[in-house]
Amino acid sequence: MQTTGSDLTSVAAGEEAAFTVLVDGRSISARAGQTVAAVLGAAGIRVFRRTAHRSEPRGLFCGIGICYECLVTVNGVPNVRACVTAVAPGMSVETGAAKRHGDGS
Amino acid sequence: MATEAELAIIGAGPAGIAAALTAATAGVQVVLVDAQPRPGGQYFRQAPGAAAAEALPVRQLGASPVCVMTDTLVWGVFPAAAGTGWELMLSGPQAPSRLWARVLILATGAYDRPIPFPGWTLPGVMTAGGVQAFLKGQGRLPGRRFLLSGTGPLQVAVAANLVQAGAEVVAVLEAARLDWRAARHVAALWGQWPRLAEGLRYWRALRAARVSLRTGWSVIAARGRGQVEEAVICRLDDAGRPIADSAETVAVDTIAIGYGLIPSTEVSRLLGCVHELRMDRGGYVPRRDAEMRTSLPGVYAVGDGAGIGGAELAQIEGRIAGLAAARELGHLSAAEAGARIRREQPGLARQQRFAAMLAALFAPRPGLYGLADDDTIICRCEEVTLGALRRAVAEGAADVNEVKGLTRAGMGYCQGRICGELIGRIIAATLSRADDMAALRAAGCFTARPPLHPLPMATLIALAEEVGD
Repeated sequence: MQTTGSDLTSVAAGEEAAFTVLVDGRSISARAGQTVAAVLGAAGIRVFRRTAHRSEPRGLFCGIGICYECLVTVNGVPNVRACVTAVAPGMSVETGAAKRHGDGS
Repeated sequence: MATEAELAIIGAGPAGIAAALTAATAGVQVVLVDAQPRPGGQYFRQAPGAAAAEALPVRQLGASPVCVMTDTLVWGVFPAAAGTGWELMLSGPQAPSRLWARVLILATGAYDRPIPFPGWTLPGVMTAGGVQAFLKGQGRLPGRRFLLSGTGPLQVAVAANLVQAGAEVVAVLEAARLDWRAARHVAALWGQWPRLAEGLRYWRALRAARVSLRTGWSVIAARGRGQVEEAVICRLDDAGRPIADSAETVAVDTIAIGYGLIPSTEVSRLLGCVHELRMDRGGYVPRRDAEMRTSLPGVYAVGDGAGIGGAELAQIEGRIAGLAAARELGHLSAAEAGARIRREQPGLARQQRFAAMLAALFAPRPGLYGLADDDTIICRCEEVTLGALRRAVAEGAADVNEVKGLTRAGMGYCQGRICGELIGRIIAATLSRADDMAALRAAGCFTARPPLHPLPMATLIALAEEVGD
């Protein structure tokens, strides 16, 4: 998916990467306590999915689990909210899927 | 698995924690449920690994006998089948499937009020609270070059935090006009010294960073290929409508919007508590008595989820409801609970005055609801445009639930949390004016239905097996 060209800035200096997660097949460093949205942001990804009808790009909006705009696929499970889901070692995240009804696992 | 409590509290923000600590200290067995991984709500949110810096109430909660269930969604609340009390339906990795409680305190909080404009669905447009949560909770910036647009003190705080974290903040646009008419509210500032000092600190930080602060301005459009690249900003007239020849374009990658807060009332609406439209409290809120009791016996509502008032008011309301619940459950005498509730009254009145002042100063003016055009998406989940909503109203849909039936607006994953209030405004604006109280009352609010959040089918199947039908 689209990127901003370079990583978005981390505020805290000297963070150690604790583990890696796969984002669209790419290895991205992450640490405990981060959300999927923060890891995608660090990887320069702003477009998390495209919509079902108009195929419009969507990303992080409310940031607190209310709006369901930031849905991604995590370990094969579709429609997971990136903003409230914590990353875990070995996690696989896919962006880009259209949100569809009846896709819940 | 199921479990029981004397008192269940939904929401572990300032109001819920205050209610839990007060009731538990009186001897009540309390379960406090929250959707986030850690207690604190939006207000006491901390970056991961910052446990040493936890706010005092969060630390007190950790040292208390309160059972805290984090990572737990409440997706339904029903009257208990046997006898009195309530049955909460839960979902979460470690959560029991059900929780029975004799008394219920709703402390569900609030979320940002968005105002739709062309381009507001582009990645890079976020809510101010979302930017704040990302910054505070993750210690990262969700963009590089920011524009803030909205109304109320939150965005000044967010802008100051962004500047402090090294972000470039191009401008903070306050849609309200803070002119001489605001002077009549000055008495409500008496006694709010910590807040005034905090505000002054933010203002100085923004001045020092040469951030442009403009009152009576708003973003009116976002543009970009696939994500935000620029924002169109504009001065507003007295009715909140853009003054066309004042429009400017600014290059930004992130636009934070927040036009006040909307109370999260899904649970109280699902329960059938009587609600009333109170613009001074953020919209539809449950009707309450002086002890925070809703129209339903054994159900209390406190904090921003019962009417926007901020963290200080939320904590006072939480303590009052905690005391009333402890008395109702037989852990406090009527005399002691009454005396302690009376002692909260001066603080309660002071915070209510302050909340009323903010609501009056920063109420979004009706013209702001006219920024969207017919092709602008209003229901982001179901991709329903303003044009489609207007057609539904023209075809005779008279309230938000009829519009929902005709257009699917509000039927998506967020269940109308984002578009619900907007659709009420659109109906009112189409039939009369966006700020016509009678029209807004007639437009009503969405019926809340379980599940209150989308659930995996596996959760429902497991529940059906557990219940045995």
